Amino acid sequence: MNAERIAKPEIAEMEDRPALPRRSGELVFHDAWERRAFAMAVSLAEQGQFEWSDFQRRLIEAVASAEEGDPLHPNRGYYESWLAALEAVLSEKQLLERRFA
Amino acid sequence: MSDHDHDHEHGAPPNPYHDSNRSEARNRELTERVAKLEALLSEKGLIDKGALDRIVEIYENDLGPMNGARVVARAWADPAYKQRLLDNATAAIAELGFGGLQGEHMVAVENTPEVHNLVVCTLCSCYPWPVLGLPPGWYKDAAYRSRVVIDPRGVLADFGTAIDDDVEVRVWDSSAEVRYLVLPERPAGTEHFSEEQLAALVERDAMIGVKKVQPA
Repeated sequence: MNAERIAKPEIAEMEDRPALPRRSGELVFHDAWERRAFAMAVSLAEQGQFEWSDFQRRLIEAVASAEEGDPLHPNRGYYESWLAALEAVLSEKQLLERRFA
Repeated sequence: MSDHDHDHEHGAPPNPYHDSNRSEARNRELTERVAKLEALLSEKGLIDKGALDRIVEIYENDLGPMNGARVVARAWADPAYKQRLLDNATAAIAELGFGGLQGEHMVAVENTPEVHNLVVCTLCSCYPWPVLGLPPGWYKDAAYRSRVVIDPRGVLADFGTAIDDDVEVRVWDSSAEVRYLVLPERPAGTEHFSEEQLAALVERDAMIGVKKVQPA
């Protein structure tokens, strides 16, 4: 019953606004880039490049802004908001800047 | 896609992220944007392709939270909790700190010496993920979904579960709005078990209703 999980509950089980889209538990990805964007954020957080909570805060903001007009008709997909959050946290941590420009 | 298109007929509070409404052009643009980001991060040694593939695999195959056993154990150990669970399962489950339901109501159905309960989703594969984790493959099979309604005793027999003729078998059809959890019968010989020991006895299949909880 209590098989060990490798996935992190704080990511897999986010609730409400930032909750990963699922159909009866299974993750919903529409296009290949969505998987890449998902994995990049998880990988960078796992390495400690940023705190998951920092990313999650950005994600909540991004999803909320997409759902501002009508929560049932957001103006972009979940992983588009995810990508915006990832770019925001990367730019905040200056992870995209070239060190020896 | 096909099965899930039933979501709306099924009275779903639709999840706006189940379908993609992007244009091809927009998708191409996003694909490029993500590829550039990946190239840049990988150039800096911050990510590698293998690690990303592994992460996707882990999360796609993650069984999820399997908290149902603890709900059942508490109900067995605490009659007042059991009553709250039968009256309002969503609230009783939340009491134990298990949430994550997205608008679905949980209903707990109790097995007794007179009634055996069995859960299915005839239209698609509605399932209480936050309590039971990912659904087993057979739960999504057309064979189980159709046959359980016509011949529940036969399906139970296939799972090795014998139900006496004088026991009523009730089949509950899940929907996007209502998800069922079977509260199995507490096996004999467990009177002195702790809640933790009880929880260890409760398997997923017993909470779907295709099996009984075996005596310790």
